Amino acid sequence: MNRHSPAGRRYLKRFIPAMVAYLVLIFGASFAFRDPGLSGPLAWAIAVAPALPIVAVIAIMGLYIKEETDEFQRRILIESMLWGFGVTLTVTTVSGFLEMYVHTPGLQSFWAFPIFCLAMGVSQLFVRRRYR
Amino acid sequence: MKNRLKVLRAERDWSQADLAERLEVSRQTINALETGKYDPSLPLAFRIARLFGQPIEAIFDDGEA
Repeated sequence: MNRHSPAGRRYLKRFIPAMVAYLVLIFGASFAFRDPGLSGPLAWAIAVAPALPIVAVIAIMGLYIKEETDEFQRRILIESMLWGFGVTLTVTTVSGFLEMYVHTPGLQSFWAFPIFCLAMGVSQLFVRRRYR
Repeated sequence: MKNRLKVLRAERDWSQADLAERLEVSRQTINALETGKYDPSLPLAFRIARLFGQPIEAIFDDGEA
């Protein structure tokens, strides 16, 4: 992410509140589900709540790509995202087959996004280095 | 792709940051262009050409001519 461009600054202005909302909702949901009696539509709503800021962050990333006018910065981010997609699909596919055939505990699917972000972040360092 | 950006910039005594500001891109973008590791899009190439008052093919060399 290019923090100095107007698009980069807008990205941060959107991303930070979304992550704050995520932290609040994930702690809230964990707290709420300590109550074993929680069920029905309320349980569904609370369970889905922490996913919403993540969906927002995905949209915020898309907006950044749309708004960034520096084509080289856009290129770096897109290349890093492709690495992120590749790693995420590889990890989830391998884990899925392991789960199916040898009954490993399996990877809960909410990990897909953190894996994507981690892979994207790490690959961005290498992608940037290649253009230096 | 080879290009004469660094020379043209030096002739005007501009830093990478100066050129970046004039083209409204980041300094890293200028660096990637100058080292030939990143080829600009046609719109950016036109902006560069206009800024230096030269045709695109006088700045960029694809090695085919």
